[in-house]
Amino acid sequence: MNLHAPGRADALAAEYVLGTLRGRARARFERLARSDPLLAEAVRQWEERLMPLAQELPPVAPPTRVWQAILKRTHASTRGAREAKRRPSIWTNLSLWRGLALAGLASAFVLAVALFTPAPERPEGTLVVVLAAQDAKPALVASADRTGRVLTVKALTPVELAADRALELWALPDGGNPRSLGLVSASGVVRLALPRPADEALRNVPALAVSLEPRGGSPTGLPTGPVLYSGPVQRLY
Amino acid sequence: MAVDKRLERNARLMELLARTALADQKAFAELYQLSAPHLYAVALRILREAAAAEEVLQESFVNVWHHAGSYVAARSQPLTWLTSIVRNRCLDQLRRREVETVTMDDEEDGVSVAAEGPTPLEMLLSGADARAVKDCVEALDAGPKQAIALAFYQGLSHSELARHLKQPLGTVKSWVRRGLERLRACLDELGVKR
Repeated sequence: MNLHAPGRADALAAEYVLGTLRGRARARFERLARSDPLLAEAVRQWEERLMPLAQELPPVAPPTRVWQAILKRTHASTRGAREAKRRPSIWTNLSLWRGLALAGLASAFVLAVALFTPAPERPEGTLVVVLAAQDAKPALVASADRTGRVLTVKALTPVELAADRALELWALPDGGNPRSLGLVSASGVVRLALPRPADEALRNVPALAVSLEPRGGSPTGLPTGPVLYSGPVQRLY
Repeated sequence: MAVDKRLERNARLMELLARTALADQKAFAELYQLSAPHLYAVALRILREAAAAEEVLQESFVNVWHHAGSYVAARSQPLTWLTSIVRNRCLDQLRRREVETVTMDDEEDGVSVAAEGPTPLEMLLSGADARAVKDCVEALDAGPKQAIALAFYQGLSHSELARHLKQPLGTVKSWVRRGLERLRACLDELGVKR
């Protein structure tokens, strides 16, 4: 597969996304795209071009058993499993399923209306921060309910960290010193307590950042090590 | 769909994906409710068997649950990202079904597609929405149009297209290639005008 001829990579990406690139050539292309950012980008662009065609198809409601099977399989290994155990009624309640099944299109319609009608005051809402490295690779996602006092921080890919180092999360307020929000895990999920509801606690905070600090966190109350990740605070409400 | 409504739906799906990355079951359920009917339709059309389509949908969402975090890295429209996952799994299924036919491996194919195009950001902002893509597909010549639609919606390979359209393989291949080039040029042009 000669990818160096002009336009060749793009033409292959197009046929890959369309689906006419088949058999061994498809598998080979997939392998190459995994390690070649330019090829991956060409694929992404063709996906953006062609996938909207899929929206031309009239939606078909899948049978309820599909969702039940998905739930069964996603419950096994996650935090959700523990939550589900504490509140079993939500996911095992038969009448909910019957309701969902019967509601079908109606609920989708109601949801669509709810989503597309500009609500004057939506009580719930989320703050989301994707913390990315210099190369724009996202490393952590932080999120909080607008009115909640917990900031959940999840490492998307485990970060290599020496035993005597820690990752510290900072709020970067407009025109003020960074404020520590706490230490975050290099590989898992951490829930940090906020002093006030999230939208208050992060008011005037356009961005968060993560710095590399000695074990236990910065001794000075300000970042002492390099900033590894940062990202803007997105207010989804 | 009006542009602001599309943006609003995309913003909602993005939020749901971000929360799904944080193992939020409720967000995952809503994500499924909003997107599964679109995705199931895609899988049904390509696989033409309800059982196979259900399996692909299930596999895809289990995958989304575990890898929603990588969505952020993909920098795609949420529905594009989801649809791509489902279509790729469908095509994998077809690959397992079919005898291997290598059709795109001939090195001497003279392909000339301009290398430069809109940047990812421009693409996201200009938003190759369903309407624009559909208009551009409609504008293609009959042969390329039919070939691309059959390949996209039904997952037909070059040789299946040739059989279906009763054309020599070479003709069908050049229809697909030319069609994709034109489609790209057409979308680029629309993107500039917006």
